[in-house]
Amino acid sequence: MEPTLTFFSGFGINDFWFLGEAAMRTMWISILSITLGTLFGVLFGWILYEGKLTAALTVAPVLDVFRSVPLIIQLVLFYNFAPIVGLNLDAFASGVAILTIYAAALVANVARGGIEAVDRSMRRASRSLGMTYWQDLRYVVLPIGGRAVFPAWVGVALGVMKDSALVSVLGYVELLKASQILITRTQEPFLILSIAGAFYFALSFPISRYAASLEKRWAQ
Amino acid sequence: MFKKFIMGTTLVALTAGPAMADTLDDVVDRGTLRCGVVLDFPPIGYRDANNEPAGYDVDYCNDLAAALEVEAEILPVTWAERLPVIVTGRADVVFGATSDSLARARTVGFTIPYAIYYAQGVVNAQSGIESIEDIRGKRVAAAIGTVPEQEWLKIAAEWGEEGNYQGYQSENEVFLAVAQGKADIGITTNTAVLPITQQYDSIVAGPRMPWTTDYTSVVAKRQDVTWLNYLNLFVTHQVRSGRYGELWGKYVGGDAPELRIPGVMY
Amino acid sequence: MFDYNFHWRPVMKSLPDLIDAAFLTLQVAVLAMIIGIIIGLCLALIRLHLKGPLYWFASSWVEVARNTPALFQLFFFGFGLGAFGLHLSPYLIVLAGLSFNCAGYLAENFRGGFQAIPDTQMRASRTLGMTAWQAYTRVVIPQVFRIVYHPVTNQMVWAVLMSSLGMLVGFRELSGETQFFASRTFRIFEYFAVTAVIYYVIVKLILGAARLLAARLFRY
Repeated sequence: MEPTLTFFSGFGINDFWFLGEAAMRTMWISILSITLGTLFGVLFGWILYEGKLTAALTVAPVLDVFRSVPLIIQLVLFYNFAPIVGLNLDAFASGVAILTIYAAALVANVARGGIEAVDRSMRRASRSLGMTYWQDLRYVVLPIGGRAVFPAWVGVALGVMKDSALVSVLGYVELLKASQILITRTQEPFLILSIAGAFYFALSFPISRYAASLEKRWAQ
Repeated sequence: MFKKFIMGTTLVALTAGPAMADTLDDVVDRGTLRCGVVLDFPPIGYRDANNEPAGYDVDYCNDLAAALEVEAEILPVTWAERLPVIVTGRADVVFGATSDSLARARTVGFTIPYAIYYAQGVVNAQSGIESIEDIRGKRVAAAIGTVPEQEWLKIAAEWGEEGNYQGYQSENEVFLAVAQGKADIGITTNTAVLPITQQYDSIVAGPRMPWTTDYTSVVAKRQDVTWLNYLNLFVTHQVRSGRYGELWGKYVGGDAPELRIPGVMY
Repeated sequence: MFDYNFHWRPVMKSLPDLIDAAFLTLQVAVLAMIIGIIIGLCLALIRLHLKGPLYWFASSWVEVARNTPALFQLFFFGFGLGAFGLHLSPYLIVLAGLSFNCAGYLAENFRGGFQAIPDTQMRASRTLGMTAWQAYTRVVIPQVFRIVYHPVTNQMVWAVLMSSLGMLVGFRELSGETQFFASRTFRIFEYFAVTAVIYYVIVKLILGAARLLAARLFRY
């Protein structure tokens, strides 16, 4: 064997960049899925609120499935099902697709709760002031209901961010997968896991703190 | 609306059906070759210091892409995934040190052998394992979905020691488990033994496993015989051009084994 | 399009093994919940009543558990601790990881529950001649129990869903067993589809049981 060839090498400056890049990918896939998931989730939440019986028989059970099956199983299923029906989605696209639906299923409940949180009399009042249905939704329900469920939404968003670690099972090199690759190469599990954990913590902790303080302020 | 949807999907299904060309055409048309490679199997497949895929299998993939005059796209897969990616059509071909067992051949297609290995253990220096018999009562590790796992479970069943076996997601986790002392012996392939024992002070070479030599083949869709023919030709060309010997010397060291099975036509 | 033949026979053959594994899933989730409730209660009480190192310990536990991915926590209990020569079996890795995670989330639920009970109730009970212990167990705890009942049920569902991560640390619970069989027969889609159904049934059974129990417990 040529002496220049090494299969394992220590943890270097390069690897720190590698982890940083992977953290960016975690952020990117999270932001994309949370944004799309929120849009769909709000739509579903509105359907659940307005649709009553029809929605309870159609949308609700479907969303329920996505909340009752482990995300990792959903990811593996979708990733393996897509090529069967001729969709050549890579790990990233499959991850975004499933995380979006998963987030939407969670946000739908939050959004419905938000609409329900607005007092009926308030909505009737806004309608009698001459607002259209959509104006009522936009200027009355959104600010009041949105505020009521904002902390819950932050919880869902942070949950999706953390759950994006599971896209690693499809081979997408996000933060946790990158740390696994580095552990494989450098054989320093403790050091690398600590760095990865600190990254996640630094992403999630300030946001959850901020949301908690907002909640406190609004409650006064 | 629902009816329309059903009709739409049926239409898609009907029109998409007959358009199936063979993989060879697909690859040339697409301009990329999607290669499944297992990257936790040094020196056959691993990530180099820049975290880029490297190794014997990766070079084979690049050679095949060069022969087809297309781009190679490396798809890192785990041991358990390497055959499903062929079944579902996610990869065109898998270079994954895959033994050509009859059971697997029911699902995927194999070429002629492109590399030959045998199974060997790497043991924790403190375990005192020197022969197969020493393994009784010791904790054994292997990667999920590999031949060593299946063969070992047969022996373990005879001994009544299945409880001592632990499967891991990747070969590297197996090595890490042995190094940390989570397992006494990890079963791997002879080619990996040298780099592993060099890497860890706590790991030494263990006994050769009692099952037969691994004739490993390139994997492709079972139904796609024209593609398999092309891959067979590729394997023979790699040997004829001397590339096989060169890569084997580079990654594994020593003379490349004859890709021939004694006593039988192949 | 359907260049894929579905094979369900191998899945049906290993269905009894999958059901056995489902009981293992349930077992580890229930144990993790019991441990999580006990530790979570301690953490909540520490954070409410104590200061100093214990407070910081409890707070760090809660924040780390809530702000890093569950999968990261499992890896940590696996190879992370292995770096110090501490070797847990896959069963214990999953149990420890889940308990750690559940304790963190439950602690916050309990804290909210305790905070919802006004201090005046405690004082009133003491005035009525109850001992502190009596006041706690007969006045405060029953009310807290009612407040946290729903979040605890949800956490139980999460524990079941999270235990699926066991497959990534080599634990042969429902997902791990599924992966093991799928890797032998290469029928990933078929196996995971059946497993998804099993998870769905488990979750529905838990929620149904919780609802029945609630109807009995909170009757008046």
